[in-house]
Amino acid sequence: VKTGLASTAIISLIYTLLIFLIAWYAHRRKLSGRSIVGNPYIYSLSIAVYCTSWTFYGSVGKAATTGIDFLMIYLGPSLTAFSWFFILRRMVQISKENNVTSIADFISLRYGKSPWLGALVTLIAILGIMPYIALQIKAVSTSFYLISGLQGQSIRIPHGSSELSVPSGFLLALILSLFSMIFGARRLVSSERHEGLVAAVAFESLVKLVSLLGVGIFVTYQLFDGFGDIFTRFQALYPEKFSQLFTLGTASTDPYYIPSFTMLFLSMGAIMLLPRQFHIMVIENSDERHITKAMWMFPVYLFLINLFVMPIALGGILATGSSAGADFFVISVPLATGHPVIAMLAFLGGLSAAAGMVIVEAVAISTMLLNHIFMPVIVRFPPQAWFPLLLINLKRCGIVLVIFLGYFYYRIVGDSFMLVNMGMISFSAAAQFLPAMLGALYWRRGNKTGAITGILFGFLTWFYTLLIPSFSHSGWISKELLSSGPFGMGLLKPTAMFGLTGMDLWSHSLFWSMLFNISGYIGCSILLHHDEGEREQLHKFIGVFEYERRQRPHTESKRLSKPVTITQFVSLMTKFIGEAEARRAIESYRGNRELDAEGNVSEFELPNLKRFTEKSLAGSVGAAAAGAIVDSFLSDMGSRMESVYDIFSTVRTSLDQSRESLFVRLKASEIINRTLDLQIIMDDLLALLLKEFKLDAAIIQLTDESGSCNVKSYQGSNRHPINDQHWFMESRPLCDLVLADRRAHFVNDTRLKPTVKLDRTIIEGILSCAHIPILREGEAPLGVMSVYSKSISGLFTEEFITLLASLTGQFAQAVTIVREIEARDNERVQKEQALLKNARVLRDMEIAQQIQLSFLPDSPPELSGIEMGGRCISAAHVGGDYYDFFRHDEQTVDLLIADVSGHSVGAALVMSEVRTLLRAQANSTHNASSILQNLNTQLYDDLTRAELFITMFYAKYNASTGRLSYANAGHNHPMICRKGQNACIELDAEGLILGVKPAVIFEERTIALQKGDVLLFYTDGLTEATDPRGEMFENGRICSHLGGVSDLPIQEIIDSFYQAVTEFTGSTTLQDDITIVVLKIL
Amino acid sequence: MNNRFRHRILQRLQLRESWVIFFILGIIMLNFPFLNIFNKSDTLFGIPLLFLYFTAGWAVSIFVIYLFTLAVTQNSTTHHGTKEP
Repeated sequence: VKTGLASTAIISLIYTLLIFLIAWYAHRRKLSGRSIVGNPYIYSLSIAVYCTSWTFYGSVGKAATTGIDFLMIYLGPSLTAFSWFFILRRMVQISKENNVTSIADFISLRYGKSPWLGALVTLIAILGIMPYIALQIKAVSTSFYLISGLQGQSIRIPHGSSELSVPSGFLLALILSLFSMIFGARRLVSSERHEGLVAAVAFESLVKLVSLLGVGIFVTYQLFDGFGDIFTRFQALYPEKFSQLFTLGTASTDPYYIPSFTMLFLSMGAIMLLPRQFHIMVIENSDERHITKAMWMFPVYLFLINLFVMPIALGGILATGSSAGADFFVISVPLATGHPVIAMLAFLGGLSAAAGMVIVEAVAISTMLLNHIFMPVIVRFPPQAWFPLLLINLKRCGIVLVIFLGYFYYRIVGDSFMLVNMGMISFSAAAQFLPAMLGALYWRRGNKTGAITGILFGFLTWFYTLLIPSFSHSGWISKELLSSGPFGMGLLKPTAMFGLTGMDLWSHSLFWSMLFNISGYIGCSILLHHDEGEREQLHKFIGVFEYERRQRPHTESKRLSKPVTITQFVSLMTKFIGEAEARRAIESYRGNRELDAEGNVSEFELPNLKRFTEKSLAGSVGAAAAGAIVDSFLSDMGSRMESVYDIFSTVRTSLDQSRESLFVRLKASEIINRTLDLQIIMDDLLALLLKEFKLDAAIIQLTDESGSCNVKSYQGSNRHPINDQHWFMESRPLCDLVLADRRAHFVNDTRLKPTVKLDRTIIEGILSCAHIPILREGEAPLGVMSVYSKSISGLFTEEFITLLASLTGQFAQAVTIVREIEARDNERVQKEQALLKNARVLRDMEIAQQIQLSFLPDSPPELSGIEMGGRCISAAHVGGDYYDFFRHDEQTVDLLIADVSGHSVGAALVMSEVRTLLRAQANSTHNASSILQNLNTQLYDDLTRAELFITMFYAKYNASTGRLSYANAGHNHPMICRKGQNACIELDAEGLILGVKPAVIFEERTIALQKGDVLLFYTDGLTEATDPRGEMFENGRICSHLGGVSDLPIQEIIDSFYQAVTEFTGSTTLQDDITIVVLKIL
Repeated sequence: MNNRFRHRILQRLQLRESWVIFFILGIIMLNFPFLNIFNKSDTLFGIPLLFLYFTAGWAVSIFVIYLFTLAVTQNSTTHHGTKEP
């Protein structure tokens, strides 16, 4: 029963359209943000692209010829799934972080973005995959013939009078190329996921599974009665064959027998290392959490798809009678038993298996081809506007090339191999990546040379011992080579290298290629060192990962020798990935970064920007090419990445601080804490910096109170005094800037037109300089520290500036402390001096007080018939009150009381002058009024100058007459308390205060005193004493108090008055000087 | 009791060492000494011994991986739970 060409073609077409529809739908869903692909089930199904038509047809063929060992091909990957949680997840993480586009990109990225390594891996992938694609083409075209019942190798299409003959394999290759281009090469960005492709592949995987299960169930339960039935019947019919198929190692006489271990090993490598597996599992992974689910779902898929292989194989032999053509039992058995629908289902399954594999493989390899073979050539030309167009078309060409290479291999090798054995050639090629790949993830020492050497050796061995012999049947190479070795050298026979015979082709090739590969890799890695580019990549692959790594800040070890703007990077990217992509990329970069006023990033950020540009380009052209593009762009700009001068060396402690940095901090704090002498601190600190960091000059300026900055310390070789001509003056504007915005400013290369003119500085030989504010966090800067280097440009890294800032911070602390101590000292000294001065004045005043007291009469003169007494108590040390008695003879005595305004020293001095003048006149016979008149004339000038006045009451008493004559110069009226009278007599006389007018006439009055009269002379301190309520003592109180105490002795009268005042005011200290003189007539 | 036992098993499976041990065990089981035990043309219930060994062994290994992933996801969810109570 045959289905016929037309119906087969139509069904295939419909099926193809369905797949397109699914891909289109997935793509639409992705665009609208509701991806159907981003789940672990689709991911697991898409990994099943591993099961190609090899699985579909080849497994059955293998099972029918060599037996159950075909399972090894699936047990290996199933076992590898154990490691996915570590290896695959890590690969996905690394790839996502670095926009990796393919396995070649991945490997070359790890080994220093080596373009040679990338090209080598690509070459191996292309050549290695040839047999694999050939296998698919062979399987599909054979199955097509089977199902359509066509004879021959080509499809004849009536074309006018003649017939056009098209080989069906060629047609198939053409269709597959078209498919692949539509799915995988519509856009250039290859690190982006192709959701349509994934959806199509996943759907095809589902079709494969359903179809093979369908055939299996049909054979097992329709044609036979389940597993047991098939096995029993087969054992009965072919007991020998049965034992051969169900035991291992019994078919070793078969020339194509592959030991189970070889298959296990190769399949374990292939599941991760085949370019398409890497592409689907790593590049197309949308979420690393999907891996966990895929780890058991993918093995389940393998398990299910292989469950019925053995029954189909045995059923096929039972049905057809032999194992010939066993590769296509899946189709031929249903056909032979008259079930074309089942056969068609099987055909579609096989078609799916082949198409999925070829498309993914072609997309993956064309990406590698573009990025690692074409790009390295293209980047040598200056970028052009049409580059994006060229690149995408090159990628399309790559797809065609890959598929047609497979097609040609199929034409040459053709039917000489079984499907599985052809596939194993590809597995062997992929296995060559294994050492370098594992080393990339887990072996720190693995280096570029090692990887290139290992892969190259392995590849050459594979090529010589496996690929070349595979051509042997086609006659492309002479039989001589295989049978007796090149040039007759038996030891170099491709199938028996160095005389190693008795091994099958694959194990033999695997052994030698792995031996050379691994020893080349390990040997070179141990012998040689990493170069710098590799070290940079190393940390991305090995070591602290995920969480910890993100926590740890990256230390910049590179700088751009000449700054490049964002715009320049954008225009570069535009040339390779188109303007829209470039804009989008840079927007995402800009998003979370600080830009300065011109929209540019800081110098420290530039290397990041460069890396970002590389990463963005890498997403389209691969890491190696992206690196080359950016490097050549930079060199055109006259800029380049140069190593930062690593003042800290490479030893870093866990705190991400170098020992050197800690050492310098420690030293600095020693210096700062050793002394409080700022000059010594500054000199030592600068000397330390000069010594530790190979600087050539260092200057500390501190601001004084007026805010101007002065050089306080200057260290360095070849110093000349700082004056206006000194080169340092050119840095002043920078220093002002530092003081103004409180952050460090630096020039990493003075030759590159800095914003400030530095001509003399450049002549001096200075290459780089930095100015760091001396300030404590959040406070105003105290000064600026400037450091200069003559030997190293680009000395000032972020790290170094941070260190210097921390040193100036410490120093600012010291300055603040020292200044505080100085200020406190100053204050203390001033206070002491003030105290001292006070004490001196006080002593002087005390002396003055003593002297003034001595001016007052010690004791009153004694006169018969009267008794006198007086006291003066000053409110301050000295006062202006004065009283005196002058005794003329036995009968007469002069009494006076005076009050100089104020209680200052001046008042005291005037008082002493008054005393002198009075004493001179005391013995004269002048009456009271003329004495006052004289006194006024004499004192007027002095009093006017001193702006002082005097009130005075002068009285003369004659005991013989009992009369008191008196004159008053504006003084308080004395009072007489006379026995029997309630009111007091106030003594008043006309007269002006002394010192007001130069000539004053004073009235002279007399009063006769009687026995028992008590006279009270007092100063205004007594009347004006106020109590807390503001009431004054007043004359009335004086009078009544006098009346109450007039019988007491003189001294007690005086005491009682002071006591009364104290009680009245409620305070022990006097408000004013109070003088009281009392005269009592006995 | 059953629950506690299951919990302890899952806890052990979170260890990296467990993964490596099972991986190596798998390789050993698929190589010479073990294979030789079952490398006989006998049948058990009419099913060839080696076929049975592979099929059953494979199913068991998938179940073990499943347990592993269960342990891992449980681990990450409990971690989550403790972080955000």
